[in-house]
Amino acid sequence: MNKRSITQYYRKNRKAIVTASSGLLYGGGWSLGHFTGFDTASAGILVLAAIIGGYDIAKTAYYEVTNRTLGIKTLVTLAAIGAIVIGEYWEAAAVVFLFSLGSYLEGRTMRKTRTALQELLEMTPDTATVRRDGDLQEVPARDVEAGEVVLVKPGGKIPVDGTVVDGESAVNQAPVTGESAPVHKADGDEVYAGTVNQEGALEVRTTGAGSDTTLERIIRRVEEAQEAQSPTESLIDRFAKYYTPAVIVLAIGAYAVTQNAILSLTLLVIGCPGALVIGPPVSIVSAIGNAARSGVLMKGGEHLERAGKIDLVAFDKTGTLTKGETAVADVEGFDVADDEIISLAATAEKKSEHHLADAIVDAARDRPTAATDGGTAVAHSDAASAEHRSVPDPDDFDVVAGKGVVAHTDGHEVVVGNRALLDDRSIDIPNHVAEYVRGREERGETVVHVVRDGSVVGVIAMRDELREAAPGVVAALQDAGIETVMLTGDNERTASAVAGEVGIDEYRAELLPEDKQTVIEEYQADGHVIAMVGDGINDAPSLATADVGIAMGAAGTDTAIETADMALMADDLERIPYAVKLSKATRWNVLENVGLAVLTVTVLLAGVLTSYVTLAAGMLVHEVSVLAVILNGMRLLRH
Amino acid sequence: MAVRVVRQTVMNETTQLRVMDFDCPTCASTVERALSNVDGVQNVEVHYTTGRVEIEYDDDVADPDAFAQAIENQGYTPQPA
Repeated sequence: MNKRSITQYYRKNRKAIVTASSGLLYGGGWSLGHFTGFDTASAGILVLAAIIGGYDIAKTAYYEVTNRTLGIKTLVTLAAIGAIVIGEYWEAAAVVFLFSLGSYLEGRTMRKTRTALQELLEMTPDTATVRRDGDLQEVPARDVEAGEVVLVKPGGKIPVDGTVVDGESAVNQAPVTGESAPVHKADGDEVYAGTVNQEGALEVRTTGAGSDTTLERIIRRVEEAQEAQSPTESLIDRFAKYYTPAVIVLAIGAYAVTQNAILSLTLLVIGCPGALVIGPPVSIVSAIGNAARSGVLMKGGEHLERAGKIDLVAFDKTGTLTKGETAVADVEGFDVADDEIISLAATAEKKSEHHLADAIVDAARDRPTAATDGGTAVAHSDAASAEHRSVPDPDDFDVVAGKGVVAHTDGHEVVVGNRALLDDRSIDIPNHVAEYVRGREERGETVVHVVRDGSVVGVIAMRDELREAAPGVVAALQDAGIETVMLTGDNERTASAVAGEVGIDEYRAELLPEDKQTVIEEYQADGHVIAMVGDGINDAPSLATADVGIAMGAAGTDTAIETADMALMADDLERIPYAVKLSKATRWNVLENVGLAVLTVTVLLAGVLTSYVTLAAGMLVHEVSVLAVILNGMRLLRH
Repeated sequence: MAVRVVRQTVMNETTQLRVMDFDCPTCASTVERALSNVDGVQNVEVHYTTGRVEIEYDDDVADPDAFAQAIENQGYTPQPA
């Protein structure tokens, strides 16, 4: 080993070397004094142990004092110097050694929580193969520009965010979404930097590289979340500001009264609020880090602490409990052909952006036969309408929010909507129609009536399949003692059928979008701490109103990440019981850590005041309590 | 007011470092103070929980090498972020 590498080795391991040397000298000095009569030599070695171990501590203490922050190192330095002054060399060496050992272990364990996220960042490859100037070039991944096409070999990691332009493959998106099952990707699909291309070669048109990727954004958000103080942390911080000076005053006061130097020095050592200030942040950082690796983004300790109190979870139905892929299940014309019903409805709904409207228009386009509306369909013969039937525009149309649409086409007035809309317009619903509708609704389908010039000519039944995971997720929440409720714009009968299928406790039907917010406020007024699960865009207001807003499928949609308190990167409902349980575990963990810290200080204080605990023992217990809260908090990394 | 305007026209650079071996929350505040005393440093944030050090500084005055030195002086090991 040359001189340079020795210096480097020393620098890197300075803390370990200093602690070990101080420990060896301490052990040697103590043995010498204990087993032989060389008291002076023993004292000398012990003082040396204190100086070697204490040099760095005293240096930082000096900075603390000059910067007017009062920290634990100042207290330890004062205690060690004081002990040497009164001739308690063994105590001085012990305090310094135990403190160094404790800090060394604390630094090492904290490093583990700090590196939990770094592992995610290392997922992104450093270089990318780019198609440039007609050939392939290997360039640093951060230098790839938006619009450039990157080649990803099978088995390779995707270096940029982008859209697949060629090839087909299965991609493991675990680093971004936490899903372990690979996702099929083909032309037009989005892929994320840091995910793994498992099967075929892909060509990806870059949308973001370097620090402008979803993974980088997630990690930045997670770090911000970890750095944000939770209410418990700020409370303790404020408390600690007064606590340390108070301990010094107490130590001086104790000396003035008792003239017992050891007693007041011990007070200094045990008076550090170590475990109290370290415990809660470690719990929260570990929990947020764990969540991030499972594809759940928690916005901060504050949200996490609140989520720990959830006793009710409200689910939006469409797109949350269901797949959000509404499709027409049945069309029934009454004295009018089914095809005519669907094309009439499609024309009326064409300009609406409602998901039911989309389903109707899609169904009309996919119908193989029957003219949509005279010859207009043939007239627009662009590429799209060659495969799909085109749907003509209505002459005019009006959306009645939460009820349906009213449109005019070809001289007819067409109304497509639910019962409420027909009631509003005093349109009579014949018995046979009502009966048909009831039958479909009892199967959990959503039905709209198609009305031409005031009379019901047909109905369209639509179905949105439940997510396979939904019943299990609801059951898991119920097992954890959490109530569940489904919020939906569907009518009573459809809602009841779906709620029955999912096994959810309660449902609220026929809600207009703004009603969902009101329902949440009602539950809150009843004393519930409520989490709302939705898609983060349409449900943004109710997510914001709920105590904890949980957005699904947030990867790629920044708005969802911004508005929600928790964001599930994948459309994976099963993360919800996990997130709720993790929050509860975190809340307990924080309480345990605070409890342990307070208990330790109380017992130590009692021990010191009754002279049972002296300097070295006080330091030992203090350091053990700090390590205990760190290790307890870190359990959440593996929850 | 005039002084403020002049200050705002100075282009501030931002850099990040990482310290993995903070052993107590006060240590992070001590490093924060030490860094804010380095010439040309406008704003510093040191986070105990993540070990992230964010420094905003005046390019004309501050020497980025001094940041790492200031952290080392406190007994901690700076790394590139």
